[in-house]
Amino acid sequence: MRRSAARKTGQSNSTAPITSSATDLFRSASSKASSKEMERIDNLFYSYANRSSGLIDPEGIENLCSDMEVDHTDVRILMLAWKMKAEKQGYFTLEEWRRGLKALRADTVNKLKKALPELEKEVKRPSNFVDFYSYSFRYCLTEEKQKSIDIESICQLLDLVLGSHFRAQVDYFIEYLKIQNDYKVINMDQWMGFYHFCTEISFPDLSNYDPELAWPLILDNFVEWMQEKRT
Amino acid sequence: MSLPTKRSATTTATTSSSSTSATANFPPMKKAKSQAVSACSSLDPSCNKNGLHHFIPSTAADNDVVFDSSSMTLDDDPKLDDRSPPPAANLSRKKATPPQPAKKLVIKLVKAKPTLPAHFEVDTWAKLQSAIKAIFLKQPDSCDLEKLYQAVNDLCLHKMGGNLYQRIEKECEAHISSVLQSLVGQSPDLVVFLSLVERCWQDLCDQMLMIRGIALYLDRTYVKQTPNVRSLWDMGLHLFRKHLALSPEVEHKTVTGLLRMIERERLGESVDRTLLNHLLKMFTALGIYAESFERPFLDCTSEFYAAEGMKYMQQSDVPDYLKHVEMRLHEEHERCLLYLDASTRKPLIATAERQLLERHISAILDKGFMMLMDGHRTEDLKRMYSLFLRVNALESLRQALSSYIRRAGQGIIMDEEKDKDMVSSLLEFKASLDTIWEESFSKNEAFCNTIKDAFEHLINLRQNRPAELIAKFLDEKLRAGNKGTSEEELEGTLDKVLVLFRFIQGKDVFEAFYKKDLAKRLLLGKSASIDAEKSMISKLKTECGSQFTNKLEGMFKDIELSKEINESFKQSSQARTKLPSGIEMSVHVLTTGYWPTYPPMDVRLPHELNVYQDIFKEFYLSKYSGRRLMWQNSLGHCVLKAEFLKGKKELAVSLFQTVVLMLFNDAQKLSFQDIKDATSIEDKELRRTLQSLACGKVRVLQKVNAIQMKETVEENTSTTERVFQDRQYQVDAAIVRIMKTRKVLSHTLLITELFQQLKFPIKPADLKKRIESLIDREYLERDKSNPQIYNYLA
Repeated sequence: MRRSAARKTGQSNSTAPITSSATDLFRSASSKASSKEMERIDNLFYSYANRSSGLIDPEGIENLCSDMEVDHTDVRILMLAWKMKAEKQGYFTLEEWRRGLKALRADTVNKLKKALPELEKEVKRPSNFVDFYSYSFRYCLTEEKQKSIDIESICQLLDLVLGSHFRAQVDYFIEYLKIQNDYKVINMDQWMGFYHFCTEISFPDLSNYDPELAWPLILDNFVEWMQEKRT
Repeated sequence: MSLPTKRSATTTATTSSSSTSATANFPPMKKAKSQAVSACSSLDPSCNKNGLHHFIPSTAADNDVVFDSSSMTLDDDPKLDDRSPPPAANLSRKKATPPQPAKKLVIKLVKAKPTLPAHFEVDTWAKLQSAIKAIFLKQPDSCDLEKLYQAVNDLCLHKMGGNLYQRIEKECEAHISSVLQSLVGQSPDLVVFLSLVERCWQDLCDQMLMIRGIALYLDRTYVKQTPNVRSLWDMGLHLFRKHLALSPEVEHKTVTGLLRMIERERLGESVDRTLLNHLLKMFTALGIYAESFERPFLDCTSEFYAAEGMKYMQQSDVPDYLKHVEMRLHEEHERCLLYLDASTRKPLIATAERQLLERHISAILDKGFMMLMDGHRTEDLKRMYSLFLRVNALESLRQALSSYIRRAGQGIIMDEEKDKDMVSSLLEFKASLDTIWEESFSKNEAFCNTIKDAFEHLINLRQNRPAELIAKFLDEKLRAGNKGTSEEELEGTLDKVLVLFRFIQGKDVFEAFYKKDLAKRLLLGKSASIDAEKSMISKLKTECGSQFTNKLEGMFKDIELSKEINESFKQSSQARTKLPSGIEMSVHVLTTGYWPTYPPMDVRLPHELNVYQDIFKEFYLSKYSGRRLMWQNSLGHCVLKAEFLKGKKELAVSLFQTVVLMLFNDAQKLSFQDIKDATSIEDKELRRTLQSLACGKVRVLQKVNAIQMKETVEENTSTTERVFQDRQYQVDAAIVRIMKTRKVLSHTLLITELFQQLKFPIKPADLKKRIESLIDREYLERDKSNPQIYNYLA
C-alpha cells in the first residue's frame, strides 16, 4: 500500500504544474488583443464561478450547460473538461478554464457552443481518442487514492464515451458487467483493455480473440460468456 | 564315388590304345578321348548319382569306339581343339607336332576305313523307340537297358545326337500331349480328377527318369555341348507345361480343385494332404506355382478370411475371436509346412492377418478391450497383444489402454462419495494394471509410460483433493492401532502410495496435510512406529529432495530434543523442590516454522497445572535464554484418575476435557455458562469438548482423546487455504523475480517462464489474476504502446 500511495503522488506531481502565470503574463504583454480576449474569458469564468470557492462548481457547470443548450451529461461536456484538462470532476479552476477556452478560441458562451462540434471532431481523431478515453476514467476518480470505479458508474461512462463508436460491444459488455459477480469495480488496466478489445477484436464473432494473450481476465470471462451465450 | 568312375573310364581308354597298334599313331586322339571322359566326370557331378558304372561300355563296344574314333580323327580333332579350353588345346597341339613324320602310317589305316552298317541310325532308333514306347505304355521291353544305353552311346558317337534328341522329344511330346488330352473331360469330381492328374504326373516323372537313364549319354554330350537345348528331364517338364497350357481346362480344373480342397480343409473337413503336396510340387517343378496357383490361392484366402472375419466378429465375443484368429494363423503356418511351397508362407500369413486382424483392430478394441481389462483376463490380453504385435497395431492397443485407464480411473477420482476409498481403489487399480502389463503386455516400455502418463493425468484431474487423500491414507497407515499389519506389509504399502504421490503435481498440498497429520501423531503419541515414520520421510526425501522434508525432519528433531529436555527437567533442582505433587507433566517444545500453525486458544488452567507450567518455563528459559515459550493448549492431553461407583478408572482425555472434568471435582451441576466462565474456552471449542464428554457412546469414558486426533472442518479448510495462500505468494514472488531480471517481457514469455518455475499446477487464468494484481499494486505496468508487454517498475 505504501508503495502505491507514493506512486500516486508522483503522478499527480508530474501533471499538476502545467501552466504558470509567467507565460500568461508574457502572452498578455505580447498582444493587446489576446489580453482582451483573456479578460473576456476570465469574465466568463467569474459569471459561472462560485464566489466563495473561486471555482466553477457543479451548479455553475449546470448553468453553463443550460446557456449552451447542452445537457450536462452530454459527452461534449466531458470533452470540454478533457480540453481544459480539468482535474476534479464537477469543478473547473480558472487556470483550467483559461487553458480550455483559449485553445478553443472562445470567449463567449455562444462561441464556446459553436466550438463544440470542432472539439468533438478533434477528440475523435484516433491519436486523441485514447487520451480522451483514459482521461475520462481518471476524471471519474473522485476520492483520494481511488484507483477503480464501481460497475454502475463504469457502465454509464462506457455508454457515454464509447457508445457511439462501438455500440454492440458496449451493450454486450454492460450486460455482462451487470450479471457477473466476480468484479465489483473496474480499474484502469481493465478500462484500457476494453478499448483495445473494441478496436482490435472482430465483433461479434470474436474470431481473433486469444485468451492466451495478455487480455485482462475480465475480458477472457466476457468472451467466454459471449461464446456460451451464442451456443 | 567320383574316383573309381574316373579311373575306370581312364583304364578303358588305356586298354583300348594298347590293344590296337594303330591308336599308338594317334596320340592326339587318345588325348582327346581321355580328355572327353574326364571332362564328363568332372563337369557333371550327377554322373555317379545316375550310376554311370552300370553302363560301362563292354570291350566289344570299346573296340567299336576306338575304331570309329580313329576313322573320324581327321575331321574331329580340330573341332575338339576348338572347343576345349585354351590350355588343353595348347597341350594337344604341342604333342601333335613331333609325331608328324609318322603320318604315313595313318594314311594306310584310312584306306581301310570301316563303314557303318546300312540303316544303322534307323535300326538303332527303332530299338530305342520301341523301348520308349514300352516305357510310356508301362510294358516290359525285350531289349535290356544296357543295350539301349549303348545304342544311345553309339548314336551320339556317330554325331547323330541331335537327331536322336529330336526323335526322343517328338516321342515324348506325342505321349504327353495325349496324356493331357486324355484328362480333358474327365471326372467332374474334383478329388478324383486331381488324383488322375497326380497319377499322370507321377507316371510321367517316372517315365522321364527312365528315358533319361537310357539316354544319359545324350544328356551328357549332345545336350551339354549344344547351346539352348534342354536336358531330357527339363524337356519333359517343358513339354508338360506346354501341353498343360494348351489345355487350359485341365490346368484350371486342377487349380480349382486344389483351392476347393484347401477351402474344405479350412472348413474342417479332412483332405488328402499328400495329394495336395504332390500336385503343388508339380506346380513348383513346372515353374508355374507362383503364377497359376499362388496368386489365385492368395486371392481365395483373402476372400475366405474376409468373409470369416466379418462373420465371426459379429457372432463371437472378442476373446473367442482372438483365439480363433490365433488358431487360424497356426493352421496356415502348418499348411505351409505340410503342402504349400515355403515361399507362400509370408504372403499367406500376411493375408490372413490382414483380413482377420488388421481390418478389425478398432472393432476388436471397441468391443472387447474394456471387457478384458475389467475382467482382468491376462491370458486373453496377452493373446491380443501378441496378435496385434504381428500386424503393427500396438499403437492402437496402447491408445486403448490409455483411454481405458482414463475412463476407469475417472470413476475413482471424480466420484466425491467414494473419496474415502479413493486411494485404496487407486492402489488396487494400479496393481491390477501392473500385473496386466507384466503378464500380458510383455513389459513393453511404451505401455509402461502410457500407464504412468494416464495415471498422472488421472490424479491431477481433480485439484488438491487426491493429494490430501493420499496424505490422509498414509496417516491412517502410520497411526497406531493398525494391528495385524507387519512391518514389511506397511513398508510395501508406503512404497505403493509413494508411486501415486509421484504423479501428483501439487505436492505442496500433500505436504501440508501430511505435516498436519504427522504433527498430531507425534504430539499425541499415536504413531505406530517411529521407524516407519522415518522410512517414509526418507522416501519423500529421495523423491523430492531435502528441501521438501526439511521441516518434517525438524519435527522429529524437536520430539527427540523434547525428550532430553524433559529428562533434564526432572533432574533439575527446580523440579525437585518446587513441583506440586501428584502431577506428572511432559512438555513438547516445538520450533515455530517446522510445525503447522495452530490458532492460540485460551483456557483457564487449574492452579496446579499453571504452577507446573511456570516452573517448566523458568527451567527452560534458564537453559535457553532469549527464547519465547507459547503454550499450545489445544494440543495438550492428560491422563486422569477418577473414582466411579464401579471402581477406579484412568481417563485419557484432552487438556480441554481435563479442564472441564476438573470443575466437577468441586461441583455436582454446572450450566454451560458456568463452565464457559470458569474455563474461558472459546464457545465453539467448548461445545465440541462437552459433546465429546456427554454425548459419546461411553459418555465420560469416551475413547481416549480421539477428539484431538479427529480432523475438524476448520482444520481442513485452513490447511487448504494455507496452501493456496502460499501458492499465491510463490506466484507473486516468481513474477517479480522474473520481471526484475528481464525488466521488459511479453505476456506469453512471462507465462512460459512462470510455468517452468512453479512446481504446482496452476491455470493461466490464475497467473493472469496475479499479474493484474501486481499491475494494480504497481510492481508492473502494461506497456503504453503494446498492451502485450509488461514493464517492471523499479
